[in-house]
Amino acid sequence: MSANTSIIMPGERVTLVEDAAKNKRVILGPGLRRLDDKVVASKAGPLRHKEPNTFWVDNYQRRYVPARGDLIIGIVKARAGDLYRVDIGSADMASISYLAFEAATKKNRPDLNPGDLLYARVLNANADIEPELVCVNSNGKSGKLGVLQDGFFFKCSLNLGRLLLRESCPALAALTEELPYEIAVGVNGRIWVKAHSMRETVGLANAIMALEQAGYSEIEKICGNLNGVVQA
Amino acid sequence: MFLNANLFEPGKSKSERSFIQSAVKQNTRFDGRKSNEFRDVKLTFGSDWGTVAVSMGDTKVLAQVSCDIGTPSSARANEGTLYLNVDIKGVAFLDEIQSTHDQRFLTLNSLLERTFRSSRCLDLESLCIAVEQHVWCVRVDINVLNHDGNLYDASTIAALAALMHFRRPEVSYAEGEIHTFSERERELMPLLFLHYPVSVTYCVYKSSSHPLVDPTLLEENAADSIIVLSFNSYQELCTLNAGGTAPTNVRTIMQCARSAANRSKAVVQFIRKALELDAERRLQPNRVAGLVDLLNDTAPMLSFKHLMEQEMQMEVVQQSSCEEPIQPKETVAHEQLHKVTEIAETPMDESSWLPSEQNLQQEQLVEDVPQSLKESTPITATTSKSKPNRGKNKASKKQQLTQRKQDQSDSEEEVTLIL
Repeated sequence: MSANTSIIMPGERVTLVEDAAKNKRVILGPGLRRLDDKVVASKAGPLRHKEPNTFWVDNYQRRYVPARGDLIIGIVKARAGDLYRVDIGSADMASISYLAFEAATKKNRPDLNPGDLLYARVLNANADIEPELVCVNSNGKSGKLGVLQDGFFFKCSLNLGRLLLRESCPALAALTEELPYEIAVGVNGRIWVKAHSMRETVGLANAIMALEQAGYSEIEKICGNLNGVVQA
Repeated sequence: MFLNANLFEPGKSKSERSFIQSAVKQNTRFDGRKSNEFRDVKLTFGSDWGTVAVSMGDTKVLAQVSCDIGTPSSARANEGTLYLNVDIKGVAFLDEIQSTHDQRFLTLNSLLERTFRSSRCLDLESLCIAVEQHVWCVRVDINVLNHDGNLYDASTIAALAALMHFRRPEVSYAEGEIHTFSERERELMPLLFLHYPVSVTYCVYKSSSHPLVDPTLLEENAADSIIVLSFNSYQELCTLNAGGTAPTNVRTIMQCARSAANRSKAVVQFIRKALELDAERRLQPNRVAGLVDLLNDTAPMLSFKHLMEQEMQMEVVQQSSCEEPIQPKETVAHEQLHKVTEIAETPMDESSWLPSEQNLQQEQLVEDVPQSLKESTPITATTSKSKPNRGKNKASKKQQLTQRKQDQSDSEEEVTLIL
């Protein structure tokens, strides 16, 4: 990832990407689109680049747009026949079949109630039909997916969720040095945390929310102070 | 929270609720405050008269007062009008959020209406220019810029500060002609007040006997019931709004009322001090900085903690004494209910209706809980005059009592609610 990033605005021609495209294939991520032989931004934000050839715009967004394969946290809203309706922060409610849980059969239904939190994967995402979720992988095992018990849950911007999920993100590592905890980060901008005690959980959540306004470059600095936030 | 908290609406899932409940039980709050601790209130006056931005933590509210000349209603021909309007912006999302937004809008509007209009805080007769023909119509527009809980207090403080800050031009009326003097000809006039009401909000949880004051949005959404009390600077009750499902007894309400009365007094004092500082600033030759400066954080914010340091210390002492278990005997509370109804119109001092410390300690520490509940029911029933679910509260036994209460309250115009 390049350190010096430039902010681009929607409609702006991105010559940096065009230059790169001259001698190799490039992949245009979210916020960039190709118009004939030009590359134009469709969102505002810093331009990101990942070696060797991926470019995208990291715009500030809070509305989640479902995409296949995303890991998300949803709130169960209602039960409708064979389905549960789940709020995942997108324009439409998502649905999950009661058979999409580990070891669930027609007789052995999962016990879900409105208000429960689900850590699930998006199976189907299409603009025209409502998103569908699953809590099992292709082998029928739940892995880490399923209902999240206890703990504390909060919503944040999509950027913060993505930021925490980056492989090189120092924030979670810095927190691990302070205290043991469990965390589930949904790319739909929802985070669930659980630590041993109430105070620790509160501190942890506050520490993560403190990252909300930080840029990539400031994270290192903030992580140094995180233990102060956790203790407070 | 963040700007435009609507999309984030915290406190609606089960895990958040149960977390908050257990946190309240352990007496911890998310931002590290104590249960009786307020967030700092900051005021910024605009360069126009009657423009105030209020921030309490991340809750931000902008109030703007304007006035024009209109005709009075035929029922009150010699009175000007006061119109309050709340605007909660930035909601165009999901259905569920829409419904909470509507609810919020309605409760907030009715609270302001009762706090400022029904309690007759402005001297409306002074706004009359010519009887049955011309009166001043004062309009308060409140814009909610960001919602992180306790919109009630933020908007009442904003409305009051804006009204107190506002100046209207002077007019003369002769032979059917109104002449409005410009600012150069005659000085602008402030509005006349009869009293200065401000609200204080409490959240009650089933898991704890200590109500939380000045809740954040998360705490507010997870609360079992919310009590909003409006007091004026003379410590008279103007509005009480108690809803929700948590059983609240007289003791809790009285305890809240006592500290709310002190708090309101302090807030009004703070607004006065802030206005003085603003007036001084306006006398200085260089132009008054407006709200534009809020963008770069250089605006002259007038902070409650900063201005009221000494008073705060006193308040803390008083509040800590409130924390001690107080057990008012039934009859005391009951007598006081009547006492208040009788003398509601005259300004009264605290001792006449707030149970004084010594008094209470002399009382026997016996309290029948179901009885106290019965006592509190008519209170909540009378408060919810405008609420549609009033009927639910009326058990057949209590109906008579409630009815009587309401008859009394109808005859009282000065005070919306009678404790």
